Amino acid sequence: MRVDETVFVSTNKGGEPVGFNWRGIAYLVKARPMRWFARREWWVEASRVQRGVGASLVEVEMWRLQAGRASGTLDSNEAAQFELTRSEDDNVWRLVRVWR
Amino acid sequence: MTGFTHLHVASAYSGHYGVTRPELLAEAARAQGATALAVTDRDGLYGAVKHIGACLQLGISPIVGVELLVVDEHTSISNRINHTERARVAILAHGSASSSRNQVQPGFGWSKLCAIVSAAQSIRGGFKSSSSKRENPVAIRASELGKLLEDGGCTVLLGSDSDLGRAVADGDRTLAEAALLSWKNLLPKPGVLAVEAVSHLTEPGSDRSTLHARRMLQLADELKVPVVLTNAVRYLSPDDALTADVLDSARFLEPLGMFQPQPNAQAWLKPPIEMQRLALEITDDHSRALKLIETTEKLADRCRLEPTRDCDWGKPKTPEKASLGIEGNPFEVLWKKAQAGIDWRYGHIEGEALARVQHRLSQELITINKLGFATYFLTVADVAQMIRDMRIRIAARGSGAGSLVNYLLGISGVDPIEHDLLFERFLSTERTSLPDIDIDVESARRHDIYRAIFKRYGSNRVTLLSMQSTYRGRGAMRDSGLALGLDDEQIDEIAKNMWRFSARSFRGALETKPELARFAEEVERDRRMNLLVDITERLDRLPRHISMHPCGVILGDSNLLNLTPVEPSGMGLPMSQFDKDDMDPMGFLKLDVLGVRMQSSMAYAVAEIERVHGKSLDLDRIPKDDEATFEAIRTTNTLGIFQIESPGQRELTGKHQPTEFNDLTIQISLFRPGPMKGNMIAPYLDGRQGFATPHYIHPDLKPILQETFGVVIFHEHVLRILNVMTGCTLAKADELRRNLEKPRVAPLVQKFFREKAAERGYSKLVINEVWSILEGFGSFGFCKAHGAAFALPTYQSAWLKTHYPTEFLAGLFTHDPGMYPRRLLLAEARRLGVRILPIDVNKSTREYRVEKVAPLTSNPNEPKIAIRMALNEIQGVSEAELDRIVNEQPFETITDFYHRAKPSRRTLERLALIGALDEVAKQTGEHTRGDIMARVRQLNAIKNRPIADLGQPMLDFSAFNAIALEQMPTGNAEMTEIERVEHELAFTHMDITQHQLEMYRPMLDEMGVVFSDELVGLRNKSDVLVAGVRVATQTPPMRSGKRVVFISLDDGHGCSDSTFFDEAQQRCSHILFNTRLLVIGGKTRRTGIKGVSIMAENAWDIRDLWRQWVAKQGTQPQLAETG
Repeated sequence: MRVDETVFVSTNKGGEPVGFNWRGIAYLVKARPMRWFARREWWVEASRVQRGVGASLVEVEMWRLQAGRASGTLDSNEAAQFELTRSEDDNVWRLVRVWR
Repeated sequence: MTGFTHLHVASAYSGHYGVTRPELLAEAARAQGATALAVTDRDGLYGAVKHIGACLQLGISPIVGVELLVVDEHTSISNRINHTERARVAILAHGSASSSRNQVQPGFGWSKLCAIVSAAQSIRGGFKSSSSKRENPVAIRASELGKLLEDGGCTVLLGSDSDLGRAVADGDRTLAEAALLSWKNLLPKPGVLAVEAVSHLTEPGSDRSTLHARRMLQLADELKVPVVLTNAVRYLSPDDALTADVLDSARFLEPLGMFQPQPNAQAWLKPPIEMQRLALEITDDHSRALKLIETTEKLADRCRLEPTRDCDWGKPKTPEKASLGIEGNPFEVLWKKAQAGIDWRYGHIEGEALARVQHRLSQELITINKLGFATYFLTVADVAQMIRDMRIRIAARGSGAGSLVNYLLGISGVDPIEHDLLFERFLSTERTSLPDIDIDVESARRHDIYRAIFKRYGSNRVTLLSMQSTYRGRGAMRDSGLALGLDDEQIDEIAKNMWRFSARSFRGALETKPELARFAEEVERDRRMNLLVDITERLDRLPRHISMHPCGVILGDSNLLNLTPVEPSGMGLPMSQFDKDDMDPMGFLKLDVLGVRMQSSMAYAVAEIERVHGKSLDLDRIPKDDEATFEAIRTTNTLGIFQIESPGQRELTGKHQPTEFNDLTIQISLFRPGPMKGNMIAPYLDGRQGFATPHYIHPDLKPILQETFGVVIFHEHVLRILNVMTGCTLAKADELRRNLEKPRVAPLVQKFFREKAAERGYSKLVINEVWSILEGFGSFGFCKAHGAAFALPTYQSAWLKTHYPTEFLAGLFTHDPGMYPRRLLLAEARRLGVRILPIDVNKSTREYRVEKVAPLTSNPNEPKIAIRMALNEIQGVSEAELDRIVNEQPFETITDFYHRAKPSRRTLERLALIGALDEVAKQTGEHTRGDIMARVRQLNAIKNRPIADLGQPMLDFSAFNAIALEQMPTGNAEMTEIERVEHELAFTHMDITQHQLEMYRPMLDEMGVVFSDELVGLRNKSDVLVAGVRVATQTPPMRSGKRVVFISLDDGHGCSDSTFFDEAQQRCSHILFNTRLLVIGGKTRRTGIKGVSIMAENAWDIRDLWRQWVAKQGTQPQLAETG
C-alpha cells in the first residue's frame, strides 16, 4: 500500500529507527532496519542545481523496517514491512509504503 | 583502524565518467588521513601522472590502476572473431615502495600495467569515431590478460560490474561460482586476483547493495579468494553526483530520463569512518569487518609506487646513441657538429667576428655539457636534418631561437648574434628540465614527418603526444542541452552568443552581456533553461576527450613503451596517453613539430615560381632589408602576411610603420596579451615617432633599451638589466626573472636587486624606478627570440607578396592559411590586380595553379600570369569525381565530359551553375549559361547514367568527332551577374565574378556609404557609414577589463575596422556576433599615419536595409536571399 504521511520516529544513538507513531498507533521495530538510498530525478523536479546544492536532489534516504504494534495484544507474527524516507535537510520522516 | 585506502577511484580523466581532478582527490584523501590513494581511470592511465605528481607533493604513496573491459574471444563458424563481454574490472599495478616481502622488481608492475592498457587499446585498431568506439570498445582479451599476468605484477579486482558481480546480483549462485572459478584458473598466481566488495547502499538486494556485497564476500571466502573493500569512487563529494548524471548523459548520448541513471549519490570518496561502517554493515561481523579492511590495506601496501624507481620519474630520457648514429662521447660529437656549422652558417669569417661566435659557442657548450644534454641536442638536430633532407621547410619557434648551437645545427634559422638574442632564456644551469625546442614545418607535410620519425627511430622509441580537451563554454552548453533533452536548434542559438567568457561564470555573464539578454529572460521563465545554466557551469573545464596533440612527438629510448601506455591515434600511429603537462614529470623528451600552413604556402609559391619562370629561389637567403617589402608592409595591406594580418596588427602596422627586420620582431612581440596589458605599446610608439624623449633612467641602460626607446618589452631586456645592475650572470638573471612572477618569492628578488645594485653604486632613485618597472613587468613581457623566430616567416611572406603576388596568393589559396575566409583573398587579389581565372573543368586541378595568360589590355605592365581556381572549392563534389575530372582532362564537349568524368547529377548541375563548363561549351560555338544549363538538364534526365567504374567498356569518343556531334540547345537567356554571384557563393562560398556587395551598390551609394580605402582621406571624427562582409570579430583583452568588440568588414576595396564600446554593444546586441553583411555607422578615429578605424555607434543588417529600400523603390527585388 502506498502512503505518504509524516510520521514521528524515535531513533537510537546510531540514528536507526526503533519505533514510530502512525495514525495514532505506536509501532516497534522488530528486526535490524535496513537503510538505503533511492534515486531522485532532479531534471524533472529541481529548478536550480548549482554547485554545492547538495546530493539531496539526487537521492533520498530510505529505511525498510519490520515493525509491529507496540501495545502487546497482537503477537510479533503480525509484523509488517514499512518503508520510510528521511529528509536530511530537516530530519522529517515520512512513511511511504506498507506491506502487510 | 584509523586510515583507509581507496583502491578504486575514477578521476575526471576517465572521460565522461569521473568528475574530480586527481589533484583534488589526492588532497582530500590526505586530509582524511590516508597514506596512499589509487587512481583507476577508465580505459587508460590518463590521469596517472597528475595523480602521482599530486601524491608526491602531498607526501602520500601513489597507487595506479586502470578500469578495463575484459572480453572472451570466440571464433564463429564463418571464422569471424567475436568478443563477448566478461567483466569490467579494476587492475592495480604492484609497486616497489611496498613494505611487504612480496615487493616486486622496480618498474615491473608499472610496465605490466602499461602493456595491459596498450593491448586493450590496440583491439580497436585505428578507428576513433564514437560509433566505432561503441561497437569496438577498448577491451582486453581474457586470455591475453592471463598471459600478461602469469608472473604477476598487477592485481585484478572483480567488482559488481564483473561477471561474478552480475551473477550474484541475479541470484544465480551456480553461475557466480563458475565465474569466480574461471577467474581463478585464468589468474592462478597468488596475489593477482581479488574480489571487490562495494556497497553504494542501493535498494536491498539490488546491484551495489549491502546484500550484494555480502554475498560476493561470502562466495569469495568459500573459494578462498581475498576480498577488499572499495567504494568504486566517481567523485569527491555527494554534490558531484549531479555532475556525474550529466556526464552519463554525454557518454550514453541520451537525455536524462532516457537511460538507467546511477542508482544514487553514494560513489564519493568516503572518509575512513564511513568505510569502516560499510565494512561492518556488509559483513555484519566485527572480526570479519576488521579482516576486510586489513586485506584492503595489505593490497594497498603492495601497490604503493615508488615513482623514481617504478616509472623512471623525472629522469630525462633520450634515444640511445646507436639509434642516432653516433659513436663515442656525445659531447665531442656535438662540439664537432657545431664547429662545422660555423662554416655553413657564416662562411669564412675571421678575426673578431669569428672570436665572437667562438666565445658564444663555448659558453653554450659548457652549459649543455654541465647539464648532460648533448644527446638531446643531437637528437633534435638529427630530426631537423632529416626534415631538411625531405626537402621540407623548417623554422624554429620559441626561446630555442636564442641559441647559437641551435642555429649552427640547423634547428633554428635565426642568427642569435645578429639579432642580439640570449641563450640563457632558453637553457641554463639553474634549471635541469629538458628545454622545449619547437619546430615549425610545412603543415601539408607534417604527417610525412611523423611517419619518417617513427621509421628512423623505431616505433619502440617514438609515440605521438596526446591532448586532453576540456569542456569550454559552447561545448559544455551543448552537452548540457543534450542532457536536458533541449532542442538542438535552441541550444545552437544560445551557444552562438556565448562569446569569450568562461562557462564557469555563466550566470554572472547573463547579467552583464547584452547579447545574452534575451536568453536571460528565458532563464527566468523556463525552469529547464535555469538548469542549463547551472549544469553548464558544472561541466566547464572538465576533461572532455583525448585526441592527438597537434604537434607533439615523444622521443625516448627502447624502454619507452614500458613507461607509457599507447593507443591508436586518428592518423593510425601510436599515441601516448600522457599529455604535455606529463612530459616534464616523466622526463620525456617532447619535440613540438608544428605544421604551419604559411610554411606550406610559401613552399608552394616557391615551387610555382620555379615551375612557371624556371627560377629557383632560396627564401632563407633573401636579403632582409628589401625596401619594397617594407614599403608594402607600411601600406597596412598585410592580408596573408604571417602574424601581422589581424585587424589589430594592421592597425598597429599603420602606427608603427616598420622599416627594418628588428621592427617586425618588436611589432610581433608588442601585439601580445602581456605587452598590451602592460601598456607598452603607446610609450614605445611615442618614443619612436619622437612625441616623447626616450627615458633610459641610467646611462648604463641605454645600450639595452635603445631599440625600444626606453620601454622594457623583452625578457632579454630584464635579463640584461639585472645583469648590468647586480652583476649576476645572465643565467641567474633568468631565474630572478622567473621568480618575479611568483608572489611568494618576488620579495626575495627585490631584496637581492636592491642590495646588489646599491653595492654597485646605483642611486636609490634609479633603483626605485628600475624596480617599479621590473615589478610591473611580471608576466607581461615577451621573449625576443620567439618574436625574432616569428619575424622571419613574416618577412619572407611579405617579400613574396611584394615580388610574386600571383604565386604567393596561389600558395595562400591552396594551403588556406591565415585567419580570414578564402573569399577575402579574392578581394585582395582584385585589389592587387592579380587575375583570377574561374573554375574550368578543363584547366582546374586540386591546386590553385599559376597559368600564363594573354594580356587583357595593352598595358605593358599587366602581369602575364593568373591564378586558376581549384576544383575542390565546389561543395559536394566527391574525391572520386575530382580524380576522374583531373585524370580525364581535357574534355571536348559537355557530353564528352558527362561520359568520361561521370559526374553525379548534382555535381554536373553545380559545375554548370558556377560556369565551370563555359569553356568546354565554347569549343562548339557561343552559348549562354542558359543554353549550358538546358544541356545539363537534358543529360541529367537520361535514366541510365554512365557508371563510375573503371572496368566498364566505354564508347571510344576519339573515333568520331564529338564536337560535330554535340547538340547544344539555343535561345536560353544569359545568367545575370547577380545570379552568377549567388551561385558562386552558394557552392564555393566565394564571390568570384564580382564582390557580393556590388549587388547592393545602388542602395549603398544612395546612403553615402564610403569605401574602406577612402577612410584614410577623411578628417578625424567625421561621421561615416561603411559596409561589407564580416571577416573578423575579436574581443581582445583590455587593460580596463571592459569588453571591446572589434569587427572587420571587407568591401572589396580593403578592410575597415570598427570598434564597439559598451553603449554601441547594447544598441546593436542582436547583430554583434551573428550578422554577416553589415552597414556600420560611426566616427572616424585616426590611429596613425596610415591608420583609421571607426568608433561604431550603430550597425544594421544590410539585408534588412535592402528590403526596406526595395519596398521604398516600389519595385520587386531582383535577387533572392543570400548568405
